[in-house]
Amino acid sequence: MSVRARVLTALVVAASLALAACGGDSGDDGGSGGKTELKLYNDKGAWSPFFEDLGKLSKEQIGIGMTPVGYTDEPTYSAFIKASFRTNEKPDLFTWSTGGRLEEIVEAGQVAETTDLWKDAIAAGDLSKELEEAYTYDGKQYCVPLNISYWVMFYNKKVYDEAGLKPPTTWAELMSNADALKAKGVTPFYQTSVLFSFVWFQQLLIGTNPDLYNKLATGEAKYTDPGVVAVMERWKQMIEGGYFSDAGSKEDPAVQLKTGKTAMGIFGTWFNTSMTQQGLKPGTDYGMFTIPNVDPAQSKVTMAFESGPLCSLAKAPDTKASTDYMKWWVGQPAQEKWANSRGDVSANPKVAIPDPGLSAIAKSAGGGEYTLANRYFEAAPAPVLTAALDAFGAFMVKPDTYQKQLENIQKAADDYWKGR
Amino acid sequence: MSVATATPVDSPAAPAAGGRKGRGDRGARWGALGFVSPAVILVAVLLYAPFLYTVVLSFTEYDGLNSPEWIGVENFTRFFDDPALTTSLRNTLMWVVGTTVVPVALGLVVAVLSFGIKGGTWLRLPFMLPYALSGAGLAVIWSFILQSGGAANDILGALHLPGAETSFLQEEPWNTLSMIVAWTWQQTGVNALLFLVGLQSIPKEPLEAAKLDGATGWSLFRHVTWPLLAPLTTVVVGLALVASLKTFDIVWVMTQGGPGRNSETLAVTMYRDAFVSGEYGYGSAVALVLTLTTGAITLAYLRRQVKSREALG
Repeated sequence: MSVRARVLTALVVAASLALAACGGDSGDDGGSGGKTELKLYNDKGAWSPFFEDLGKLSKEQIGIGMTPVGYTDEPTYSAFIKASFRTNEKPDLFTWSTGGRLEEIVEAGQVAETTDLWKDAIAAGDLSKELEEAYTYDGKQYCVPLNISYWVMFYNKKVYDEAGLKPPTTWAELMSNADALKAKGVTPFYQTSVLFSFVWFQQLLIGTNPDLYNKLATGEAKYTDPGVVAVMERWKQMIEGGYFSDAGSKEDPAVQLKTGKTAMGIFGTWFNTSMTQQGLKPGTDYGMFTIPNVDPAQSKVTMAFESGPLCSLAKAPDTKASTDYMKWWVGQPAQEKWANSRGDVSANPKVAIPDPGLSAIAKSAGGGEYTLANRYFEAAPAPVLTAALDAFGAFMVKPDTYQKQLENIQKAADDYWKGR
Repeated sequence: MSVATATPVDSPAAPAAGGRKGRGDRGARWGALGFVSPAVILVAVLLYAPFLYTVVLSFTEYDGLNSPEWIGVENFTRFFDDPALTTSLRNTLMWVVGTTVVPVALGLVVAVLSFGIKGGTWLRLPFMLPYALSGAGLAVIWSFILQSGGAANDILGALHLPGAETSFLQEEPWNTLSMIVAWTWQQTGVNALLFLVGLQSIPKEPLEAAKLDGATGWSLFRHVTWPLLAPLTTVVVGLALVASLKTFDIVWVMTQGGPGRNSETLAVTMYRDAFVSGEYGYGSAVALVLTLTTGAITLAYLRRQVKSREALG
């Protein structure tokens, strides 16, 4: 082989290597028949078996299968989804969160509109009008509910029984139960400084002044307002009074509740999955109750509520297949399987819930018995949430710093709302 | 044997065999270029291009959704005004001091004390074993030990020592200090190994001469062994310095830089700003500052070491 030929061969090899590295796979979306197998990207890696069951069911019922691609690290997941907007590696379906984060990608024009789907589903009674608001931007709907959850108090039934306690109906009863448990050496409440550090702030504020809570979310109130300061002072007193588990503990909360080390914890109803995965039986080993308002003068109990969306991209590989899948997803057969296998409530009001405790909560919530407050995670704009999660975490270690922490959150809020 | 004699004739490295010296030289050079080009392209695409892209991004505001918007040096001025920077710098400094001094010194002690004695290998083994763990594995194990109410608290409590109630991973500066302890536990072994290689490579003559002159123990180490180990110490400290400046994995797994950002290092700040807050432009600026700082400090350190050695010899 001549030198020139060798050089050429080497360059061709190099170029083809580089091209092979840059090229993506062609995928299975070719042809005009439409996709029959969709990939659902999600940040709920632990739910993979439930997603797979739904994939099998959809294949049987509408001829479109679904394979979950689960992530467990949220930042990695967000970065992947955002990057997919600019590349050819686009998910057919993906999970996200409502509130500011959904608004952000809707404003960027990336999400497929689902206005017609919502209209039909509401007419058919598969989705409720109340839920529509969380999915509406500029009068149009985007995505469908992947899941909904109510935030309630989970408690270890055996610990309660041994102490001769009953689920409370007022805040005073809740605190007297907590005192009784403390006297027996049991830590009354669970709390954590990682990610879910907002939970007790949210609960104490919606139970005291839900209006103030909503105004914080829209920037009409300040974190340094006296009402918010009072909530932090109450929280501080509770921490100093020994009512909480160690916020720095890395032990699974379901295990803490299972062992009876901690008696109660505030979680979304999705926490049922964690409890049953620990081998606990709802109604026997553990129960749940609606958390009474701190302020008894409030006429209705305010309950935090979350709804996570299932979305498709405006430029999805096969928009029809993705839309058809979402249509099927909100229907009763899919929702019955989805909600009941995870032991959670469903966005579809027609779904019957076998667990009596959960069913009662869902019925009361659906029947307008409670005032529903959007969970803080979705209600707070993203930069405010980031600052707040840090601030609450720092506050739990040094409760005396509450004023400084509120100022830190307000600074982030000022920066955010200034640009609006 | 026939292979050995035939090879130089065919090899491009021996073009003199033919009568076309100039052409052969050029051809060989082009041939070599052709063959290294796959590696060059890969390095350019996977290393240089992302680095240059990060530099460009650091001058923009970029949320990953809309196109990056040029904002000049705003990210850098914001970074230097950020209160989180003070904590992050303080913690990084603690890491630099902690990890260039403690594991290196302990590694040296282990190597020197176990060198040349019977059963030295067995004495060193427990220090070497932790090095088999990955950074994340190390962090998970030490999280269980150091978490509030974990093994460390229990042991201190049982021995009636102070610290039984301390939340090691929650309170500053304990969280950074205890992570440095975890890091030391792992790194001592590898440093000992490196020093051991250094000790084995020291020529016997100066040591024997010193011994004949009556040097023993500390004075032998201080005036003979230690100066002879200097080149290796430069490498060990240099490696520890770079590793400490980019500390990320152990902190991310153990505390995620929290609570309330109080255990963040510069590398964690960079990751948080870029990927958790989704501010890729700002995160890139932090990355650039970190890279330049690491480069500058390492370069300054190595220059100084080389100069002082030149002055000596």
